[in-house]
Amino acid sequence: MTEKIDFDVPEIPARIEDPGVQPHASSHLKPYRAQHQHQEALGFPGELVDGWQEKAIDKLGELTGKYRSLQVFMDSCMKCGACTDKCHYYLGTGDPNNMPVARQDLLRNVYRRYYTLPGKLFPKLVGAVDLTEDVLDQWYTYFHQCSQCRRCSVFCPVGIDTSEVSMAAREILDTVGTGQKYVNEVIGKVHRLGNNLGLPEPALADTLEGLEEDIEEEIGVPVRLPLDQAGADILLVTPSADFFAEPHVDGLIGYAKVFHQAGLSWTLSSHASEAANFGLFIGSYDNMQQVAKRIRQAALDLGVKRIVFGECGHAWRVAYNFLSTLTGPLEFLDTAFPSPQHVVEVTHNLLQSGRLQVDPSANDDKRVTYHDSCNVARGSGMGDIPGGQMLLPRQVINAVCNNFFEMPANTTGDATFCCGGGGGLLTDELIELRVKGALPRMQALQTVDKAHDITHMVAICAICKSQFAKVLPYYGFQMDQILSLHQLVGDALVWKVNEV
Amino acid sequence: MFAGWLLYLAFAIFILGLLARILRYARTPAPLKIPLMPAPRTTGGVVLRLLQEVLLFRSLFRASRWTWVFGWLFHAGLLIVALSHLQYFTDPIWGWVAMIVPFSHMAAYAMVVGLTGLLCRRIMVVRIRYISAPSDYLMLVLFLVLAGSGLLMHHVFYPDILGLRHFTLGLVSGNLSALPAQWLLWVHIGLFALLLLIFPFSKLLHAPGVFFNPVFTQRDNARGKHHVNPWSENTEPDDKR
Amino acid sequence: MPIEVDGTIYDTDEEGYLLDFNVWSREITLKMAESDSCELTDSHWEVIHFLREYYEEYQIAPAIRILTKAVGRKLGKEKGNSKYLYQLYPEGPAKQACRYAGLPKPTGCV
Repeated sequence: MTEKIDFDVPEIPARIEDPGVQPHASSHLKPYRAQHQHQEALGFPGELVDGWQEKAIDKLGELTGKYRSLQVFMDSCMKCGACTDKCHYYLGTGDPNNMPVARQDLLRNVYRRYYTLPGKLFPKLVGAVDLTEDVLDQWYTYFHQCSQCRRCSVFCPVGIDTSEVSMAAREILDTVGTGQKYVNEVIGKVHRLGNNLGLPEPALADTLEGLEEDIEEEIGVPVRLPLDQAGADILLVTPSADFFAEPHVDGLIGYAKVFHQAGLSWTLSSHASEAANFGLFIGSYDNMQQVAKRIRQAALDLGVKRIVFGECGHAWRVAYNFLSTLTGPLEFLDTAFPSPQHVVEVTHNLLQSGRLQVDPSANDDKRVTYHDSCNVARGSGMGDIPGGQMLLPRQVINAVCNNFFEMPANTTGDATFCCGGGGGLLTDELIELRVKGALPRMQALQTVDKAHDITHMVAICAICKSQFAKVLPYYGFQMDQILSLHQLVGDALVWKVNEV
Repeated sequence: MFAGWLLYLAFAIFILGLLARILRYARTPAPLKIPLMPAPRTTGGVVLRLLQEVLLFRSLFRASRWTWVFGWLFHAGLLIVALSHLQYFTDPIWGWVAMIVPFSHMAAYAMVVGLTGLLCRRIMVVRIRYISAPSDYLMLVLFLVLAGSGLLMHHVFYPDILGLRHFTLGLVSGNLSALPAQWLLWVHIGLFALLLLIFPFSKLLHAPGVFFNPVFTQRDNARGKHHVNPWSENTEPDDKR
Repeated sequence: MPIEVDGTIYDTDEEGYLLDFNVWSREITLKMAESDSCELTDSHWEVIHFLREYYEEYQIAPAIRILTKAVGRKLGKEKGNSKYLYQLYPEGPAKQACRYAGLPKPTGCV
């Protein structure tokens, strides 16, 4: 990594601690603004609209009427400060607007000004502010410094979830014409081509064919990666990064090997060649719904009985909690698998029932730890047992690898730290924020590394993997120390000679 | 008579304001399933989760031990003090009220300790100072003065208890009488009326709010149960195989 | 920040990627490399040419596996890996090499 660095990479502290309030420390970090074409493809105005102030205030009122969560959150914060030292972006930058309550207050103070009696009568007393251009700019800056990881809500005595607030704020920003380029451009590509990257069907087919050759060369078994195969039992919906990038692709190869060894009939879809749903990040129900419907449509068109999601954090949150609400019931699925499943659940099940032959010593060259992805840990479930989203990935790792070690408990499970790149912030112009936001996770990684000489960190989220591949080197680790969980699985599978 | 009418007015605004707010929370849809995971799967589990939050401040305990200690002392003290005030509104005094009355001044001390701790944190911890508006300090001061004036009347400046009971029982039965003329009592009652007045318009709404927060109240049951968003156009299947 | 070569101005996005794949020329790449103080070798050019060929056919940059395999074929098997590509293009093959080749930036969860 010899990329130019024009900011100071924080020293990893001995323990995670309050860096001290440093006003404006990250006020210069904002993503590129969406241009006309990015905005309009999503049904938003192309530039800041006339009368934006009134429109933004109206939209805020509309949203507090549509989302009980937002309405309760606008009213209920008692400013106890419990959340103030819980956000990885605050811990990494020290910017007080990255304290969750302060981030919410950017919106709440405007809400108080226009929608509450004390705010109308005595704005100074209650901290209510007019919606000015400065405030709009602060919204743009700091609601794009929230990865919507929900860690703060774990520690809030009334359960205020900043991710809901930042989704609402971004929806208001989009509505008045000041959206964010990265996310909106990506959603536009999904609408147009079916995936975040913009891989057209021929490119996808060519990529999968190449992977089949690679696998056969490696293990001598003709593992297939079927595309648009009507009549298959399982539709696998996975982040397009799995086709494109490292270490994601090794995870995809892992899923394919698992399906092959278990003898499952499966297919990918070129219509729904993406698990991710960035509509969530901008709080746009319409866009989220439109993206989700591609999956339902693909499942119907291909006539599958099951839908399985690959390793993608927020996609799994959407699949687990929102999918049938967004698309209508998935009544055509097999009654044994009426809801989407996570590929970790599939593998876990196969391991438990002895349908996979694994030799964990194949991974003896690795000493691994596991990063709980925020949307999996705090936004979803697995395996129909409480906390299964934490348990199942660990059980799978333990089944395929002999050397597994935990990071400190206050950085894992439902208290896990975000990788620093979630929620639509995985874009290069925010690299300083991403590096600093990764600090708490890097601290935890260093702790387990010092105790157990870790070689790799395992994750089950495309964003986490890309983010870590990028930021690990800033902290003295190697970019290839981040692994897909299913790479570990795939590497541990034992292939009988007669299968060759 | 003035004090009586003031309290009626404050109480009416408190009840109506709070009711309006609660109705708004109840009527506003929760379009998506957003429980904070791991979440309970049953209604009983949700009740347990809420009880842990409301009675024990479980999340706050995980977040900040000092805020938890002070916050819990304040709220527990407030609860006992508030209930023991029923002694002024029941005749004869309800048995269980009579049982907690002897602890009420201890509870008031707990309030003072808790509130002082919270105020000190608000002033001294830079992070919390940063997020505090004037009203956040004043709210603590309001409760402190309420508790302090109550304690002073308990220990030093005894009000005309019989006159006070006559006044408060009159409030209940509708036969308004004059509040005994004692400045501390007037301060105490006046601030109580103020508290009732601002409750439905202030951050004190966290008290009903927590019971309507989908993050806490929703079950982890999206897999088994189809959740409908009432304002989305496409909740029904629009295509069949 | 548009890029100027021989008196002609070419539009780019915020990060210096050409907006129009078809206006690309060797001179543009040289100019980009010059402002990065990156000296282009034949190996760099092999990557750039492959990226352009692939994009012309598929309208997208190649996946990393396809790129490394192609590099392995052209420059020798020991070079067919992403470590080598990062030696050539420290900012990342997908990002820096695509820019030099006049491709739009691949974005998504990558």
